[in-house]
Amino acid sequence: MIVRVGDEIPPWAMASVDPARMRTMAAILRDPYPVHWDADANAAFGLGGRVINQGPLNLSYIVNMLMAWAGPSCVRRLTVSFGRPVLDGEAVTAMGRVTALIDHPEGPRAQCDVWLDLDGLGVVTGAALVALEPTSLR
Amino acid sequence: MQTSPTEESLTELVGHQFASGHYRIEHWENWLLTQCTGREPMPDGLVHPVALFHVPIAGVGTSITELFQLCGAEGAGSVGLESYDWEYFGPLREDIEYRMAGSIAEVERIVADGGAVVDRVAFRIEMFDGSELVARVTNRWLFRRVA
Repeated sequence: MIVRVGDEIPPWAMASVDPARMRTMAAILRDPYPVHWDADANAAFGLGGRVINQGPLNLSYIVNMLMAWAGPSCVRRLTVSFGRPVLDGEAVTAMGRVTALIDHPEGPRAQCDVWLDLDGLGVVTGAALVALEPTSLR
Repeated sequence: MQTSPTEESLTELVGHQFASGHYRIEHWENWLLTQCTGREPMPDGLVHPVALFHVPIAGVGTSITELFQLCGAEGAGSVGLESYDWEYFGPLREDIEYRMAGSIAEVERIVADGGAVVDRVAFRIEMFDGSELVARVTNRWLFRRVA
């Protein structure tokens, strides 16, 4: 894979955010707050019987995109901000673009803009530093 | 539900040290975590990078509940994520006893034009394999206060 500034990273899509996965994630995170697993408890927040996907899961779709592109040990830094919550059943797509290439002593790095798209809105936005194969800059 | 902390008491949180501790990421936990993200299991004992949310928190012997209590959260709907800055100095792996240490790094009270009060709190935790630094997380949370 040859990487150049301006390259689009192949998108990674989650067609429907799954509330069952949120429940498992809540147990792994030891997160007791019902916004992630009890739709009835969310009525007070005006969510209409929906649950809110965990922030780390939203970020994980971006991480999955990066790993599918550059390998499972490629992630070196993630700097992201969170916007509107993602609810169960919504479709989101992780996207990214290479903004700079860095000659690092341990191997080449790509600085990338990354975001999680929901109907044209970036619900997670930020930057990633990705380790590339030595041959990626030829 | 707690009452809103004063700005002074919040400022005193800066420098609050978490207890140092250890955490071993086991295969079953990594497998389930990765499944939740919607991708196939990680190869070669690598840990899914998103483990950097819960592993450092557990590794310093605290929890989301305790962090929220420490910062005077006024109910689940009053807390929101602002940002993460996660640095990986090498890949994370299953079955390694990682050591962790961290503290509350920054606190800022923000008062909007309409008078709404939000406190931004950042905590930073470092993760070591022996003496080698393998990861550092800085997470910023927003605590909305009842007027």
